[in-house]
Amino acid sequence: MNALTIKFGLTIATVVLAAVLAGSFVATIYREQNSRGTLLPTQGMTVLPSPKQITAFSLTDHEQHSFDLASLKGKWSFLFFGFTSCPDICPTTLSVLAGVRNKVADRTPALKPAAAAATPMQFVFISVDPKRDTPAKLGQYVTHFDSSFNGVTGSNSELGNLARQLGAVYELSATTPGSDDYRVFHTSAVFLVDPLARYHAVLSSPHDAETISKRFLVLRELEEGPVR
Amino acid sequence: MRRREWLLVGPCVALLSVAPQLTLAADDDHRVTVRDAWIRESPPGVDMTAGYMSMRNNGTRQQVLIGASSAGFGEVMIHRTTEKDGMAAMMHTSQIELAPNASVAFAPGGLHLMLMNPTQALRVGDRVNINLQFQGGLVVPFAFEVRK
Repeated sequence: MNALTIKFGLTIATVVLAAVLAGSFVATIYREQNSRGTLLPTQGMTVLPSPKQITAFSLTDHEQHSFDLASLKGKWSFLFFGFTSCPDICPTTLSVLAGVRNKVADRTPALKPAAAAATPMQFVFISVDPKRDTPAKLGQYVTHFDSSFNGVTGSNSELGNLARQLGAVYELSATTPGSDDYRVFHTSAVFLVDPLARYHAVLSSPHDAETISKRFLVLRELEEGPVR
Repeated sequence: MRRREWLLVGPCVALLSVAPQLTLAADDDHRVTVRDAWIRESPPGVDMTAGYMSMRNNGTRQQVLIGASSAGFGEVMIHRTTEKDGMAAMMHTSQIELAPNASVAFAPGGLHLMLMNPTQALRVGDRVNINLQFQGGLVVPFAFEVRK
């Protein structure tokens, strides 16, 4: 075998390898396009391939009622983790969610037989800063954005319990040990839990009411059938 | 020309040589323009909110925003919400450089003026003056409108 043959062989091998790679790439895209996860465009909302059942947790809402696993059942829940001393991303997200609620309500026809009604929605702001966010403060805060919004908090262990189940990350870091002056880092995602209390989809920022409401309506119709 | 008259020439020449610079400085002062300036109405019980705007440098020199102040707030800081791996964090930003003909947007989820300890309750429609301070002593005052 001379040098020319080896060179020719290598060229052929490279071409074949490139073709195989390109083929598998196209096949992957094709497969993904047909999966449930991308049934909805992925921008803004990612639907979990299989919804994940949430297990028991125990928090308290701003009216001092228990907010637990049962509170998630029978409703589509939009959950957002934040804190009230947050000037930018929390008010921005809650304003968007208020817009989502209005848009979805506008596009859900008023129904005659109650049985055919779409499952209701609830919007829950979960404060990861229970030390500063008392129920009274939380109530004033969330209802400023929409009177139906619910503010929830609880012990650090129970907040961690629910956050872990959703993969929601947050962190409180003291600037001065022991003082009330600390920073809160938190996920900017909104978690969508379905009426069976299963973690169903995640909405990633930047949030926009038009996109979220449209995709939520498609998702709800997929799960429950069209609202007539 | 008598001797006394000659004495006036000096100051005149001095004034003429300074005048163009004065004009230039005054022009540049007006070359940072602000648009769509608004403050988010803060929910009751919350002593902080954020201000947003679009800022443009129409001048020929770079301008550097180094701070802001307002009689309406105890403290005003330039902040930026950043996101890394889905985590939102707020960072203090010491300065914003604005090249000639460049614009910068202060918008929800990004750059914002963090406004702390309002001196009075602000309601939708109120206007609050905020002084934008630039390197070199330039101060651009602008009325921000309170919106929901």
